Amino acid sequence: MDYIKQKTPPVREDRLRACNAFGGTCCDLVGASRSGCLYGLKRAFAQTYTCQLGLSLAILNTLRDAVIIIHGPIGCGGSNIANAGLAKNLQRLRDPRARGLIWLSTNLTEIDAIRGGEDKLKEAIWYAEREFRPRAIIIVNSCVPALIGDDIDGLVEGLQKEVSATIVPVHCPGFKAKIMASAYDAVYHGALRNLVKAPAYYDRVLPDDLEELKEKYSRSRTVNLLNVSSMSRQDELELTRLLQALDLKVNLLPCYAHPDSFEDATEAALSVSICPTHDDYFIGHLQAKYGIPFILRTIPLGIKHTSAWLLDIARFFGLEKEAQQLIAEETRQLQEALAPYRQVLQGKRAFIGGGEIRVGATAALLQELGMEVLGLRIYHYDHFADEIYDELNGKETMVVNVATSQPFEQANLLAKLKPDIYLGHVGLNGWAAKQGIPVCPVYGVNNLYMGYAGMFEIARRLVRILKNPSFNRNLAAHTRLPYFAKWYQENPFAYIDNNVLTGNK
Amino acid sequence: MDAIPLTRNFLVNNQLRWHGMTTGIIERPRFLCALGGALSTLNALPGAVPIIHASSGCGGNIYQAYNGGAGYLGSGYCGGLALPSSNVYEEEIVFGGENRLAEQIANTLKVVDGELYFVVTGCMTEMIGDDARAVASRFRDQGLPVLVADTGGFRGNSYQGYDIILQTLFRDFVARTSCQENKTLNLWGIVPGQDVFWKGNLQSLKTLLGNLGYQVNTFFGEGETLANLQNAARATLNIVVSDTYGIGAAKVFAEVHGVPYISVPLPIGPTATGQFLRTVGATLEIASKFVERLIRIEEDRYYSYYERLADIYNDIDLQRYAIVLGDANYAPALARFLADDLGWLPELAVVTDILDEHDRELVRQRFQDFQSGIQPRVVFDSNASRVAGYLNEYWLRNRGQRYYDALSPAFVLGSIYDRDLAETLGAAHLSVTFPVTNRIVLDRSYAGYSGGLRLTEDILSVLVAGR
Ligand code: SF4
Repeated sequence: MDYIKQKTPPVREDRLRACNAFGGTCCDLVGASRSGCLYGLKRAFAQTYTCQLGLSLAILNTLRDAVIIIHGPIGCGGSNIANAGLAKNLQRLRDPRARGLIWLSTNLTEIDAIRGGEDKLKEAIWYAEREFRPRAIIIVNSCVPALIGDDIDGLVEGLQKEVSATIVPVHCPGFKAKIMASAYDAVYHGALRNLVKAPAYYDRVLPDDLEELKEKYSRSRTVNLLNVSSMSRQDELELTRLLQALDLKVNLLPCYAHPDSFEDATEAALSVSICPTHDDYFIGHLQAKYGIPFILRTIPLGIKHTSAWLLDIARFFGLEKEAQQLIAEETRQLQEALAPYRQVLQGKRAFIGGGEIRVGATAALLQELGMEVLGLRIYHYDHFADEIYDELNGKETMVVNVATSQPFEQANLLAKLKPDIYLGHVGLNGWAAKQGIPVCPVYGVNNLYMGYAGMFEIARRLVRILKNPSFNRNLAAHTRLPYFAKWYQENPFAYIDNNVLTGNK
Repeated sequence: MDAIPLTRNFLVNNQLRWHGMTTGIIERPRFLCALGGALSTLNALPGAVPIIHASSGCGGNIYQAYNGGAGYLGSGYCGGLALPSSNVYEEEIVFGGENRLAEQIANTLKVVDGELYFVVTGCMTEMIGDDARAVASRFRDQGLPVLVADTGGFRGNSYQGYDIILQTLFRDFVARTSCQENKTLNLWGIVPGQDVFWKGNLQSLKTLLGNLGYQVNTFFGEGETLANLQNAARATLNIVVSDTYGIGAAKVFAEVHGVPYISVPLPIGPTATGQFLRTVGATLEIASKFVERLIRIEEDRYYSYYERLADIYNDIDLQRYAIVLGDANYAPALARFLADDLGWLPELAVVTDILDEHDRELVRQRFQDFQSGIQPRVVFDSNASRVAGYLNEYWLRNRGQRYYDALSPAFVLGSIYDRDLAETLGAAHLSVTFPVTNRIVLDRSYAGYSGGLRLTEDILSVLVAGR
């Protein structure tokens, strides 16, 4: 993989032929994906979602000691407003002195759209440097400058010599990508071009062979653990615990990392992803450029996937036997603890929504708990999920709806399937709630989901939520969704434009 | 991609420019674009279904901002991720998005149940010269309830978006009539979302004027209907509770329907609310005896509660220096309440809007006539971290003196951003102005008499929270 010389990365629909408009069974989905004929991207009726700029910010906002410049009209990146308070607390879980989220808007007006926005961008960079002296200044490029053709990289090249912060342009204009996950590549692209480099070493004044050996050994046991912004600190601690049990060291990035962690990343023995569709771009380039091998297969959620994830890593270090032992012991304890929860959850019918990898593994987890999974909704689909989805029980009848948000399709599906519980994502949970269904969020920045401990917490949470679903039941009795009654009689996928050949490319 | 030349259409249609306003970069803005204000406004309008003509991210982005920033406003009836949106991409940006918009409107009418559909545009579709008006009018001509407004980000910020939506409603939706109802008023100027307490505030003011014997349409408040809005031209007077927001719409209303308006400041607490009632009373030519009686009853009630504070306020000395940060409505209103009703010392007031000199002057005057004689220093700045700098300029720093007149004990009354400032100053803090992410706000109101009581409870509770 080598896109790094380009200023901007390709979007996902081009690079991976990712799809975000599909309805059918899980079996159909995997079949279509494997035969290369899954590329629906169009709807004749659509609802808003988030652009790649919004998702890029979700990652970039977490970086410590950085100032974000949103280069665009005043509204772009407004979603940051919602995180203004929380970001600081979350950063401080990693570093008690962290400053929190600081961002600037270049506030482009029509005059800038005509004259170009470069002067204002320059002004913003100087403002960030002067007022905050950050380690990194990150420029998030939105639709308008991309349309008027601002030469951001040229400007940065000129300015970098005068500014002490490392300037990182991230190209993520919303209108360029239908697949929101293109954001991951946009962010990593910026990081790879500007933050990732081999650290400079200075010779010791007094040579110390033993120390050097120790450092070398330590590097040979260090893994880059690639986190995601939808993970909690507790998740990170659980995964770190498991890796430490194998005597491995962890360099956590990109989320909540200090910009310097990207330099350390070039020295690790292995990069480990917890979500293939999140990391393939970064990990591929780290290998191509720095020779760092990687593991990119699944997410450590539930017994099966956590164990597989752990074994992959152990195998690389020749620690398979030790890992087997660890897994056996962890699983034994967990199964024992889960027994009472299983009784309640057995046979409960669930519906899950969110990102493809998390949803697929969550489905497997619920099946491990004895629950039935009726259907899945996922933001986009690409080949990274084929294996996970192919291994799900009941895939022949399990409904899959690939849709970035589109709650109208969800409403229709939920009305038909009537699950006992809905596990979903921010922004979509509320709509399921109004249909009277108990809701368990699939992630939370303060909740544990991953690893063995995470599975126990999920089971505990599900049982608790099912214990008293009154809140949502009352909501359903007193509110309604905005769709006509006849919409619920229609095919939930009626507005997906299947005529992809004429419609799209 | 090479730059696409801006179309003439875009330039000619663009009437509402940011004339003379600060158009520089902004650190942590406390508002969104015109589309943002348009959507938060439409979301508050009963039965309205917005249709966004923009890229996919605009609607979701705006929803996240207002959900988090406005005390967890939520998606409402058809907001949030349910917002119908044309989601234009590169193809449409290159070849034009009008067909996609037409398809989206037609299908929204099939799927989404609304009384009024309202097409709003984003900056990209305006830049490429899509004529959303023409597309929407094709539906309107068939008798379908479809309105349209250009709300691209370049047309200003949220406050202008609010004004644009009201202008369109007043021009294209409010029925022309010759029959006047003496006892009916319209009231606006409180921007849903940007005023985190908008719904409660509208309700308080409606009740208050109801006590004067008037029926009040607030369009967005409790129990409002589109029918009320449609008949709004029957009112005798429009009351704009702002010096700056919704004034353009008031002018349109006067021009199209001949109903005059007055502009009054947001009243918080007994002093300001008394003035509010007197101004409205005088304009409506209500006998002053009647108005004064109402004021006395309300003040008696107010002080029957304040009386309780006689002890704790004075036992532990609850007077504070204060720094107030908020928009053109809130900054003067809060400062006045603190100075005139709570007996505090608002030293610095930061008005965080983008305002032109004319509007700045109007806002400045609102700080001039405090009954207590207190005169806060007023600055206009939208950058969140600048405030500490202003304080340094004006409140002498301790240069190692043993005896130093510190700005302490202090209280920061502003937004969530200003929690950092409070932290540096060692001051207490309450978020009341946008964005408020650390509170849940439902029907709470800070306007009027009961609003003053609520605000007193909230502020003083912060000070006794450790007890
Ligand atoms: S204008 Fe573009 S970058 Fe900005 S919020 Fe909308 S889609 Fe995202």
